[in-house]
Amino acid sequence: MHPSGAQLSDADTDMNFHTPLTIALSKGRIFKDTLPLLKAAGIEPVDDPDTTRKLILDTNHDNVKLVLIRATDVPTYVQWGAADLGVTGKDTLMEHGGDGLYEPLDLQIAKCGMWVAGFPDADLAARRLRIATKYVRAARDHFAAKGQQVEIIKLYGSMELAPIVGLSDLIVDLVETGNTLKANGLVTLEHMHDISSRLVVNKASWKMKHATLSELVEELRSVVEKG
Amino acid sequence: MHNERWLLPEGIDELLPEQARALEHLRRRLLDHYASWGYELVITPFIEYLESLLTGTGKDLDLQTFKLTDQLSGRQLGIRADITPQVARIDAHHLRRDEPTRLCYIGTVLRTRSDGFAASRSPLQIGAELYGHAGIESDLEILSLMLETLNTAGVEDIYLDLGHVGIFRGLARQAGLDADQEAALFEALQRKAQPEIDALIGEFSVTDECAAMLSALAGLNGDDEVINKARIALANADDDVLAAIDYVAALGAALTQTLPGVPLHYDLAELRAYHYQTGVVFAAFVPGLGNEVARGGRYDHIGEVFGRARPATGFSADLKTLMRVARPEPLAVPESIFAPWADNDPGLLQRIRELRRAGRVVVRELPGQAGDAASMACSHQLQLVNGEWQVSAL
Repeated sequence: MHPSGAQLSDADTDMNFHTPLTIALSKGRIFKDTLPLLKAAGIEPVDDPDTTRKLILDTNHDNVKLVLIRATDVPTYVQWGAADLGVTGKDTLMEHGGDGLYEPLDLQIAKCGMWVAGFPDADLAARRLRIATKYVRAARDHFAAKGQQVEIIKLYGSMELAPIVGLSDLIVDLVETGNTLKANGLVTLEHMHDISSRLVVNKASWKMKHATLSELVEELRSVVEKG
Repeated sequence: MHNERWLLPEGIDELLPEQARALEHLRRRLLDHYASWGYELVITPFIEYLESLLTGTGKDLDLQTFKLTDQLSGRQLGIRADITPQVARIDAHHLRRDEPTRLCYIGTVLRTRSDGFAASRSPLQIGAELYGHAGIESDLEILSLMLETLNTAGVEDIYLDLGHVGIFRGLARQAGLDADQEAALFEALQRKAQPEIDALIGEFSVTDECAAMLSALAGLNGDDEVINKARIALANADDDVLAAIDYVAALGAALTQTLPGVPLHYDLAELRAYHYQTGVVFAAFVPGLGNEVARGGRYDHIGEVFGRARPATGFSADLKTLMRVARPEPLAVPESIFAPWADNDPGLLQRIRELRRAGRVVVRELPGQAGDAASMACSHQLQLVNGEWQVSAL
């Protein structure tokens, strides 16, 4: 399946990738922020990710491949062993539940917050609030922990529209700058979670490719800690 | 509307002749194999009172169990989601032997939620349990039998994973965690989510010593170096924890000696089936599959609620998963003999009886049927030669 005995062509690192590794990444911000980390650990894509239409990218190591998939699919690929490891947001992980995954490292990238947002005069204590969100599980758990029964309305995008057109009372969404909220007359009301990207590893891969994976995780950890 | 009455519920499957033949072949080989080790087969009920099904097994199994109300007694019934507790009851309540008892079983279990690859909710659970001996020797026997099961099924490139639930239990007790705190930490440990583990421990009011040990746990996995690391990182743990580390180390060393070719991975934070396991836990992994293909461990207290606590160790696997990941030797399809239809021919009937008694497969033609011997996948046929029915190749 994979050629064995990869030739090291990189001088930055001592890492030897004797075992084939597949790393799942999502296009966009996570990919951009992950590349420098991988580079510091000695992994660089050969193809230009911005122009290629390939879904599997070769790297400078014969044994290491990158697969580019949708952010919400990363935990699924890694859980079932289609990829050995991946990078995904804590928001996605909370929705997925994390079954079958290890989350050994907070990569401290793609940082933002998960917030309850709405009109400035919204009543957070009202009964049976309607919450529009992509993050059904996180929203339900958050309000349940406060002892509030709410109705969750699952949406796939443009959450800000929901309170304006009267579809919901509040929204739960990721907030980075707050500009979209502001432009639509909404404000953040309640902080729920700090979000950042996590390294996730397939359980079986962690056991079977332990030497390589733990070395890679430690390498990345030291890169992250250096800032 | 399309006719979708053939559609099965999610995670429920059926086996067609070719798969069913292979599975049945494997089932017989395995049960014969267990019998040759002295394991007696038991057949447990598919459905029984919920309270006896779930006693002492924890919340996970409760959520996994399909339930219904018994119209005769008004009590709740459950469909078994795991056979191990049922077998433990047989040992504790019915057999009541003092000698070591070896039992094996096979049966379909139903689960409300799938927990394995390909999302099966109706695994065909096969396993063996050994009661009445506490110590690495009985764990080693069960582990050997588990590996032989995988080999017999044709599963290759097996990795063994070894852990001990007593380590986390002991540390949680030493730190004085309450049930909620222990559950929260357990959940984060299952995912080795080090940032969350450290955040949780920071919220607990535990001594620095305990905090450091709990935090180190998620990192204690890898090759046999881990044992030494654990002895250093958990040096201040109480005697139960140190004894658990010694137990894992001794079992690992014994395994390496008895089964040298099998790669061994230690994971001291592995808490598989934590709610009824009490000691060492183990699992077998194969490349390319996210979940374990077989698992087991020690569960010394499960019989207590049925009147008798006996040391117990065992393993189980899903036969259908094994079939999917295995590369078995191809099964020879038995040759079939086609017997043409003939009215009132005692000679033909006699010949068919003889052939079948001799173990041959004879398929009878039916009057007016479609197809012939070749299209019925027969390799031979019966022909009347000089007044005698003879087998000839097609």
